[in-house]
Amino acid sequence: MFKEGMLELVGTGFVETLYMTLASTIFAYIIGLPLGLLLVVTDKDGIKPVPWLNAVLGTIINIVRSIPFLILLVALMPFTKAVVGTVIGAKATIVGLLVAAAPFVARMVESSLKEVEKGVIEAAQSMGASPFQIMTKVLLPEAKPSLLVGGAIAITTILGYSAMAGFVGGGGLGAIAINYGYYRGQQDIMYMMVILLVVIVQVFQELGMKISKRTDRRL
Amino acid sequence: MEKETMIRLEGIKKRFKTKAGELEVLHGVSADIKKGEVFGIIGLSGAGKSTLVRCINLLERPTGGKVWLDGVELTALNDKNLREQRRHMGMIFQQFHLLMQKTALENVCFPLMISGVPKAQAKERAKELLELVGLADRMESYPAQLSGGQKQRVAIARALATEPKVLLCDEATSALDPNTTAGVLKLLKDINERLGITIVVITHEMSVIQEICDRVAIIDGGLIAEEGTVEEIFRNPKTKIGQELVLHEGTNREAYTGRLPYCYRLVFKGGSENEPVLGQMMIETKGVANILAANTRTIDEQAYGQMVLQFPEEKELRNTMIKYLTDRGVVVEEVEYV
Repeated sequence: MFKEGMLELVGTGFVETLYMTLASTIFAYIIGLPLGLLLVVTDKDGIKPVPWLNAVLGTIINIVRSIPFLILLVALMPFTKAVVGTVIGAKATIVGLLVAAAPFVARMVESSLKEVEKGVIEAAQSMGASPFQIMTKVLLPEAKPSLLVGGAIAITTILGYSAMAGFVGGGGLGAIAINYGYYRGQQDIMYMMVILLVVIVQVFQELGMKISKRTDRRL
Repeated sequence: MEKETMIRLEGIKKRFKTKAGELEVLHGVSADIKKGEVFGIIGLSGAGKSTLVRCINLLERPTGGKVWLDGVELTALNDKNLREQRRHMGMIFQQFHLLMQKTALENVCFPLMISGVPKAQAKERAKELLELVGLADRMESYPAQLSGGQKQRVAIARALATEPKVLLCDEATSALDPNTTAGVLKLLKDINERLGITIVVITHEMSVIQEICDRVAIIDGGLIAEEGTVEEIFRNPKTKIGQELVLHEGTNREAYTGRLPYCYRLVFKGGSENEPVLGQMMIETKGVANILAANTRTIDEQAYGQMVLQFPEEKELRNTMIKYLTDRGVVVEEVEYV
C-alpha cells in the first residue's frame, strides 16, 4: 500500500507535528500564563483591581479568539514573513499557532487560578504577602494540578490547529493528510494520518491528567 | 493598674456596595483591647463581627474610623507599611485556609519565607512551632491528610511564625466538634499565657467566651451593645442581646413557644455550700418554682451556676422568694424567656 519513501515522509511529518505543537505550546504559555495571571489579579475581586486594564485585556483576548484559525493564519502572513522569513512550513505555522493559542491559554490559566480558594489568598494577605508573592507563592502553586490539566487540553487543541494549517502550506501530519489523502485521493494515507493524530492526542491528554493527579496533594 | 492598649478601634464604620445600594454593616465601633488579654467579640450571625475583625488587620478597609496597633495607626499607612505591620498580627480562620499543595511544615514556613527569613532558619522555627502545637509527628503531612483540629493547629502555628503581638481568631472553633474545640481553646489560652500574645476571639458561642476570654464585647446590629469582664456580663447582662446570648447558651430554644410570664434568671456561685439554697427557699417560703433551664460554667476558675425559673403568679409570694434568694447572695433578675 505504501510506495517507497512513504515511511520516511510520515516520519518527518510526525516529527514536524510534534515540533510545531510543542514549540507553539511553550510560546503560547510564555505569553498566555502572564496574561491569565494579569486577568485574575486585575479583576474587580482580584488582589490588585485595575478595571480598565482588565477590560482592555479581556476585549483583545476575545477578539483574537473569535477569528477563525485559518483566517487568522492567512491574515497573519505578512507578520509571519517578517518574523521567520517564510509563510510556509512548520516554522511559519508556529507563529500563527502561538498567536491563536496564547489568548486561549490565557483563559485556561484564568479559570484555573480562579479555582484557588479566596480564603487562602486572604490568609496570605493577613500575613503581609505582597501581590507578587501571592501570585508566585500562592496562586500558581495552589492551582498547579488544574494548570496541568489545562496544559493537556491546550496542547491537544494546538495539535488540532497544527493539522488544519496543512491547508495553507503548514507542515506536519496535517499537511500530508491534505496533500496526499485529499488532493491526490489516497484515502489510506489520510486515515493513517488521522489515526496517528488520534494517538498523539490520547498520549498527551492521558499524560497531562496523570501528572496532574499524581502531583495533586488534595487527594 | 491600667494596662497598656494593644489595639484601639475608634469609630469604625464599614459600608459595602451591593446591588440593592449601599449597606452599612458597622456603624461606628470603638474598643480598646489591652496588651496580653484575651478579648472576645460575640454576636449573632449578621451582627458584623467578622467584618469587624477584618477591619482590625485591614483585610477590609473601614470606610470610617481609625485602627491603631500598638501605637501605630494602621489606617494611615500605605500598602507596603501596612504589609509590614500585618506581620505583627497572626490570623486564623473557621475554614483554616491552609495551602493545600504544601505540607504542614511548608505551611508554617510560608509566612517566614515571604518576610525574607532564610529557608534553613524558617524550617527550624517551623519545627519548633509545630512541636508547640503538638504536631511534631505530622510535619510532612499534607492538609488533606489531617483532621479539622490538626489543620487548625497547623494554622495556629503558621499564625505564630512571625512572632506576632496579636492573634486574631475568626470563628476558629466553629467548624470543630466539641472535644476538638476544647483542645484548640486550651492551646490558645496556653499561647496567651506562655507567650503573652494578645488574642482577639470572634465567636457566636458564649461557651467559647467563657472558656478563654478575659473581657468581652457584645456586638449587635453593627454596634457594641455592651462590654465588660466575662464575669460581669455573665452575672448580669444588661442588654437584651446580652441576656439572650447568656441565657440561651446550651438550652433548647425550640422547647418553649411563646413568652412565659414570671421568669427569673438566677446566678449563684457554685460549690457545695450553696447547693441547697433553692430547696431551702421552696421549703421555707412554700413557693414552688418551675425550672426551665440550668447549667454551670467555670469562669476564671470559679464555678457559676445559672438557672431560669418560672415563679408563681402571686406577687407577694414571688417577692418573698426573690428576697430569700438575694439575701443569700444569689443574683436574681426578671427575664423574658421565649
